Amino acid sequence: MVNGRRKIVRRRGRVSQTIIYLGKLFRMFLFQNDWKVLPMSAVIAGLVAFAVGGNIFKTMEGTLMGTFALSCVCIWNGFFNSIQSICRERAIVKREHRSGLHISSYILAHMIYQAVLCLLQVVIMILVSTRMGVKMPDKSLVTSFPLVDIGISLFLITYCADMLALLISSFAKTTTAAMTIMPFMLIVQLLFSGAFFNLPEQAMPFTKLTATKWGLTALCAQGDYNSLPMVSLWNNAVKMKNYEVGGEKPLQDALVEIEKKNKREEILLKCAEQNQNPNYAFDVNVVYTCWGWIIGWTLFYILVAVIILERIDKDRR
Amino acid sequence: MASTMNLNIGHIIDVILYILTSLGYMKLFEKCGISKRWAWIPLTKEYHLALCADREEEGKVYVGIRAFLYLHSIFTAIPHNFNNYILSIAVSVFGILAFAMNITELVYLTRIYTGLVKLFGKSRKWVPVLVLFEAIAVLYWGFNSDYKPTKRAADVSEIAAAKVFGTDIESIQEGLTVNIKERTAIDFFRKKVLLKDIHMCIPKGHMVLLLGGSGAGKTTYLNAITGYEPADAHILLGNNDVYLDYAEMMYDIGFVPQQDLMRGNDTVWLTLYDAATLRLPSSVSLGERNKRINAVLEQFGLTAVKDSLVEKLSGGQRKRLSIAMEFISDPTLFILDEPDSGLDGVVARNLFEKLRSIADEGKIVVVITHTPDRVIDLFDDVIVLAKDANKTGRLAWYGPVKDAYEFFGKTSMEEILLSINQKDEGGEGRADEFVSKYADRIGKMVG
Repeated sequence: MVNGRRKIVRRRGRVSQTIIYLGKLFRMFLFQNDWKVLPMSAVIAGLVAFAVGGNIFKTMEGTLMGTFALSCVCIWNGFFNSIQSICRERAIVKREHRSGLHISSYILAHMIYQAVLCLLQVVIMILVSTRMGVKMPDKSLVTSFPLVDIGISLFLITYCADMLALLISSFAKTTTAAMTIMPFMLIVQLLFSGAFFNLPEQAMPFTKLTATKWGLTALCAQGDYNSLPMVSLWNNAVKMKNYEVGGEKPLQDALVEIEKKNKREEILLKCAEQNQNPNYAFDVNVVYTCWGWIIGWTLFYILVAVIILERIDKDRR
Repeated sequence: MASTMNLNIGHIIDVILYILTSLGYMKLFEKCGISKRWAWIPLTKEYHLALCADREEEGKVYVGIRAFLYLHSIFTAIPHNFNNYILSIAVSVFGILAFAMNITELVYLTRIYTGLVKLFGKSRKWVPVLVLFEAIAVLYWGFNSDYKPTKRAADVSEIAAAKVFGTDIESIQEGLTVNIKERTAIDFFRKKVLLKDIHMCIPKGHMVLLLGGSGAGKTTYLNAITGYEPADAHILLGNNDVYLDYAEMMYDIGFVPQQDLMRGNDTVWLTLYDAATLRLPSSVSLGERNKRINAVLEQFGLTAVKDSLVEKLSGGQRKRLSIAMEFISDPTLFILDEPDSGLDGVVARNLFEKLRSIADEGKIVVVITHTPDRVIDLFDDVIVLAKDANKTGRLAWYGPVKDAYEFFGKTSMEEILLSINQKDEGGEGRADEFVSKYADRIGKMVG
């Protein structure tokens, strides 16, 4: 004779499980190699600051290149933080799911842990960059501190990339598969940043899919891109100064005249005026829109990761 | 006008080639023991070709590739307005992916045809011919009576099945009652019966050996009785329906997987602590939990290494920890999948003695092992699962170990295993005989 449903015994809920897994992740950070992502982010930030940091937030061209490079560093850091984190212990997760693990708790633990990692990486990145002489914006849009504004943008880009990598890690069956997919995603993120590479008009809608586009736009807006001088025309004119027309050097004459009258800065700014981009306007709404898109994508990646990982029981034995 | 004409001629050639290829495959499938109608249906044709070549896994991927390419063909056949930027980009991306898929298709087709020529005992030189001139080559293979496969793909509907007992047995108060009608799975275009007609009652305090050859359904059976992969079945543990109360019953069933799935960077104590926190009711206080952890550490001889990292443990210690993780919740039903894999004789014996002591505490312990004879004296009963002619897992025996020897006319478990294994696996191929004999025996016993 079957009794039917028996009395339900309460087990550890999602919050308790999240704490258990947070403990495991921080132990992994300490005793496995996970801690290495922090010094690695310092080295990468140093290299980027050395290579492109000279003109960032000083000229239009330097800002575009520099913010692109910073976004790339964030994407790189985010990807490497979590690309192997789930797939390397997939069989263990399957066993634990069988024993009552809530996948949402497991992912939440990863989200919290990765958020801490990303935050530390952004702090390291800003410290290294400023130490290397990179000029940071002196005006703020959202908070009262420009560095905090920049830090939030860098954090959101890193965290979005981190969650995308977590998603890849949740469906890749092995670490090899995850590491094979990662470069493809990296290329997509870099190629479709929407600013650095000249994409055809038809491809521009695809840039909305990437964290680099929104991150780069936010950083340019925060750096007041449209108020910066444009130097490429001047630099090219200097290169061409010895070009002769009818035995004379008109470009050299013009450059000397401009310098004599101390009009160089004015020319550079006039040149910039012709190349302003309304997408990079120094406007809080631009920054909020960009942050909104990045947060939206981050949430989407998390949701898909949970849904995919819930099917872990279907894994081939 | 000319381009329309070319297009029409191209389509006509495509249709003729499709008919010729399907005709060839129809005859080929007939030789392989597969229904001829599949040769005419896209995707099923590709899958059954792989079955015919004994390359089912490749066939599944190949079907996915073909499905994508068929979709691409349909997509490109529809007239598009290419002034739409998004659409034109989508067409380009789709085209690039289709090209990549074409390359993948070539690789998988080569693998499948390699399997086909091997199965038909023909030269590998045929592979490029089949790939490049599919229609003509397949027609030739199909209609030439000299081209016969060395092994036919199983068509389960045509094979006479072993006898079925077919009646649920009454549940027992103190133990596990298993009444599995069947466990099926849809695998692509085929319904596969993985398990069928398994009925038994295992009393508490019994340690049971689960014996069966490769593919006999041992893990499927364990997943069915634990409710992890439900079957068309009634499984009762004591008075509780495992399927109905799965959310709660899963804590009363311990399943120890074959691999030691634990995090190497945790200590033994922390591993058990986390396992206890996950598995024990939240009403259990911290003090009681710690007491339970210490008791289990003691029981499994792990107290001395409780502060060691898991990755530093020996094979035997790691296995004991893996078992302890499940035992922490004091389950009634305890299942172990090859707990002795990778362990030497002495350590394995020691482990099984530990399991015997768990059974003596009034638990049900079910164990899969590939080396049963060295520890058979510790078991009460044996379950023998065998793969019948339809490749379905069937019950060939459940009962005391000594009676099993008599039933099979053998003197060791390895001999029993050999007798039920298929001939192509090096066995005697007597699975159906014993399945029917056992169905008769249990029928008489139940009345």
